[in-house]
Amino acid sequence: MSVTSLSRRHLARLLGASAAALPFLSGGNALAQARGNTLVIGLDISDTITFDPVRQAQYTPPMTLAACYDSLMTLEANDLINPKPSLATAWARTPDGNGWRFTLRRDVRFASDATLTAEDVKFSFDRILGMQEQTQQYIKAVDRVEVVDAHTVDFILNSPNAPVLPIFCNPGCGITEKAVLMRQGATFGPGAKDTDRATEWLNNNSAGTGPYRLGRWERNGQIQLLRNPNYWGTAPAFERVIIRHLSDSAAQLLAVRRGDVHAAFNLIPEQMATLRSDPNVRVERLPSLDFVYMAVTQNPAANPVLAKKEARHAIGHAIDYDGILNNLLGGVALRPAHFLPIGVNGSTEQIARQVGFSQNLDRSRQLLQQAGVPDGFEMEIAYGNAAVAGISYQVLGQKLQADLGRVGIRVRLNPMDQVNIRTVYTQGREAGGVLTFWNPPAVCNDLWASAVVERVARRVHWTVPPEVTALVKQASEEQDLDTAASLWVEWQRRMVDEAHHFILFQPIYQIAVRNSLRDFPLTAAGWQLEMAHIKPA
Amino acid sequence: MPRYIATRLLSAIAMALLASLVVFLISALVPGDPVLAQMGDIAASNPATVLEWRAKWGLDLPLWERYGIFLRGLVHGDLGISIATRRPVLDDIVQYAPATVELATIAFLMAIGIGIPLGIAAAVWRDSWVDSAARAISLLGVSAPTFWLAFIMLAIFYGWLGWAPGPGRIDPIAFPPDGATGLFLLDTAMAGDWEAWWDAAAHLVLPATVLAAATIGLITRTTRAAMLDSLGQDYVRVARAKGLRARVVVLRHALPNALVPVVTLGGLAYANLLAGAVMTETVFSWPGLGRYTFRSAAALDFPAIMGITLVVSATYLMVNLLVDLSYAALDPRVRR
Amino acid sequence: MSAAIAMPVARPRWRRLLRRYGPAWAGGVIVLAWLLIAVFAPLIVPYPPDAQDIVNRLAPPSAEHWLGTDVLGRDVFSRLLFGSRLSLLAGFSVVLLGAAIGVTVGIVAAWSRGFVDEALMRFTDLVLCFPPIILALAIAAALGIGSTNTILAMLVVWWPKFARLARALALVQRSQEYVEAATVLGMRPVRILGRHILPNTLGPLAVLVTLDLGIAILTFAGLSFLGLGVVPPTPEWGSMVAEGRELVEQWWVAAFPGFAILTVVVGFNFLGDGLRDWLDPKTRSR
Repeated sequence: MSVTSLSRRHLARLLGASAAALPFLSGGNALAQARGNTLVIGLDISDTITFDPVRQAQYTPPMTLAACYDSLMTLEANDLINPKPSLATAWARTPDGNGWRFTLRRDVRFASDATLTAEDVKFSFDRILGMQEQTQQYIKAVDRVEVVDAHTVDFILNSPNAPVLPIFCNPGCGITEKAVLMRQGATFGPGAKDTDRATEWLNNNSAGTGPYRLGRWERNGQIQLLRNPNYWGTAPAFERVIIRHLSDSAAQLLAVRRGDVHAAFNLIPEQMATLRSDPNVRVERLPSLDFVYMAVTQNPAANPVLAKKEARHAIGHAIDYDGILNNLLGGVALRPAHFLPIGVNGSTEQIARQVGFSQNLDRSRQLLQQAGVPDGFEMEIAYGNAAVAGISYQVLGQKLQADLGRVGIRVRLNPMDQVNIRTVYTQGREAGGVLTFWNPPAVCNDLWASAVVERVARRVHWTVPPEVTALVKQASEEQDLDTAASLWVEWQRRMVDEAHHFILFQPIYQIAVRNSLRDFPLTAAGWQLEMAHIKPA
Repeated sequence: MPRYIATRLLSAIAMALLASLVVFLISALVPGDPVLAQMGDIAASNPATVLEWRAKWGLDLPLWERYGIFLRGLVHGDLGISIATRRPVLDDIVQYAPATVELATIAFLMAIGIGIPLGIAAAVWRDSWVDSAARAISLLGVSAPTFWLAFIMLAIFYGWLGWAPGPGRIDPIAFPPDGATGLFLLDTAMAGDWEAWWDAAAHLVLPATVLAAATIGLITRTTRAAMLDSLGQDYVRVARAKGLRARVVVLRHALPNALVPVVTLGGLAYANLLAGAVMTETVFSWPGLGRYTFRSAAALDFPAIMGITLVVSATYLMVNLLVDLSYAALDPRVRR
Repeated sequence: MSAAIAMPVARPRWRRLLRRYGPAWAGGVIVLAWLLIAVFAPLIVPYPPDAQDIVNRLAPPSAEHWLGTDVLGRDVFSRLLFGSRLSLLAGFSVVLLGAAIGVTVGIVAAWSRGFVDEALMRFTDLVLCFPPIILALAIAAALGIGSTNTILAMLVVWWPKFARLARALALVQRSQEYVEAATVLGMRPVRILGRHILPNTLGPLAVLVTLDLGIAILTFAGLSFLGLGVVPPTPEWGSMVAEGRELVEQWWVAAFPGFAILTVVVGFNFLGDGLRDWLDPKTRSR
């Protein structure tokens, strides 16, 4: 449009024309055809830095990894205590009792068409052990892996009763194809962390036996998965899966309502009300094993009052847990007593109610008196500039500030950037309380409990008494589930009494799913979604 | 003139380096440990692992040596490895920059395409309804908070009316076009894939409008003021007195002169669009440099923020230089 | 057709005046209203701004809560009024301090010429070419999150434009005859600066300052939207928008503070435009 004749009528026409052009902006033909056999998931994938299972340490990648790689065993959504067969069909103690012997499933083929053998299993674990990344940290109990025959492998443990089986279920322990990875520069065994070059390739491809294979990964854009024609289980219904990066929950809500994505993972509780009136979308619940909690230091140099156990107990009795759960989270969350999520052995809602703190303002004031601060005291609560489970730490912090204010504890909020909060907390330099989040890498009571006594305790300047450490070891290695459960209850009781960690809630995520999908199997086992079992209506 | 350009180029390089040095120093003084923050929980609790990781990014070396390493890498076109994404900073920038360049360029074209005609119209029909409308548009554009406007636009035109496609650069199920530039409009056009071109163009409309809003306001305002100024000049009055057609007077006589300040402002506005797309990129899930910058800065990922600073400040200085040069071309009086 | 491109049409005087000065007045009224609200906020708010009522959270606008309640059940209207304090304070402190620093630098540069001028101007270039978001986040990381530090971060990038403008204006003034006369008469440079150059550059500066107040308020709101601006529970418009942005159904939580930002920025823009028209003899005469 050249500016040769400037008339008002012209100007008006120009403005009108550009507005009229808008409705024709969406749509296309080739795309419409692809839509039928493609599943689109809306998810914030900005945390993803790699799809190398060995280097996995982030929150969202397990969903993709679990679709591409199978582990030896798996966990089903309704039973997070007993592992079920996956690539291994059976397992038993090794004859010498020092480890576990796995029998591999026959005729399993990789996406490349090659057949799975015990060599691949050994290679996968040797690479994990050699790379010394996060995944290796969880299977430290594994000393070495030995091939017995083409379909049998032995895992020799350095501590025979270490609870490794549930950890083997996590996608970080997925089995990768040795031949393919070696061609792409993989190494294994000691020194692998300096010589391995396969990660770059694994970021855009996969070499597993899972229902899908990784087709392409656009950072902060999308992840494309293509059906693995050689999959040993039932073939998945969708030919392609696209995990679309949508960083904003409100944008996800719009996208799922308009049908541009089949499911939206990062909605916030308040948005569920909007969906209730939408006939095309339903809300599914994804229980989690995550914790949102406040850690309180007992370092007298940071805050002398907090060094007194009574003062910390006063905090525990002042928090309005029900208000957080029922009002802020719309009732969709759980609250365990301590660091054992509800759903694992020794942690149920009933146990949590008996063992955990509950709000009791009179008791709290009484405890403040016993602590020698009848008029309350001042403390800081630090938190990162972020949101978790659809609620920002900022909102949570203000809620705690108001709650503690009711018994006279005057809270100063200290928002920090993610780096400072991590540094301060990991090094135990917090000035009072820290609001944070814990997401388990695998389902295993021992992972939480040992972490608490080995690391988390140090951050709050608590010297763990030997009997508590012994209790954790005893409970972890106890083979009888009922006895173990009562030991875990005992452990939680001890920890609640120490009052360093106040679990605010265990999130239940709410996923919006379009009714064009009949089955959308979610799981708390760590990878969120069983992609192979999604079925259209 | 060539000597002038050479001097300016050299000083631009020096300036960009200086800027990266300042960012380096600030990030070095921050109490938080960026490496620790990126480590897994277990690894972060193991002092030996922490030391090993810190060494990987040279955090155990004295400051000057660390900057020296950065400079040495720079000579070889290497900006170092990002702590947060664990891959070369240059790869990250090359990946994210095209999305932002494309968005900012379209926004800029919209801003001048709307702002200049609107400004001219407002000046020519001063005090008429056109002037008032132009004023209202430019005022709202300048005054509305981007983070607020972005979501309102998305909610109305995508969520409610369904006229525009949703967030992102392309349809959720489309493959990103393979192309050398990473600018989707260019890549798809060169491949002759007009369906994909249309798709990419449609996805640009809303974010570009949001990003352009403030700039449209600025350009309209400046054009109007400059046009009023030049319409009042003697030579324009003479031209009118000679009985030349009004259109000729406005476009041939008054406009060229009025464009000088608009060009100055436009150039800087373009540089700001490139740097200032964070909010728009967030709401529209746009995989661009703005988000990358924000995430890197929030993670104190110093190799990344030094690299970004270098690139962004160099771009800014180059645009500045181009502005000054075109300024000279437009206004012979400036030439020396 | 071409008759349409007429120069200003004769219209009744009052309509022309209203069109020309109406916005300036409106701007003045808006700004004054917000200033009064900021000063008297504690006296006029119906609820304390940080009083939570968790059971009654996200209540829509009603007779009790005119603008509804937020995620923690606090009265949005009260927080909105209180929020004006920090926004205006941040805007004024950034712009006024920025102008003070910038004008000093600019005038000194223009006056001294030569090396000092070159050094100061290159320094302003250096500051201008920084990606501002990196600077703001790095300063927040180094000094902690809070309104003072955010204002500080903004100041760092704010003064150069004033320095440039002041230098340009001062250079023009410097070559004016009356300044040369004063120099010849042997007046001391400081005196010439204070008595002659500064007063004559004040007009354009006042315009820039007024328009800039709007931009500064927007920027501050933007930074606090990103989580850098304020320590809760202090009410602030940008963080109020951030707290409510994802609430699609409960639009009132984010919409009203967003609108408040819009009005105050529009106010300063109207005022600045009016001031410019008023100060510029060319546009005034007609």
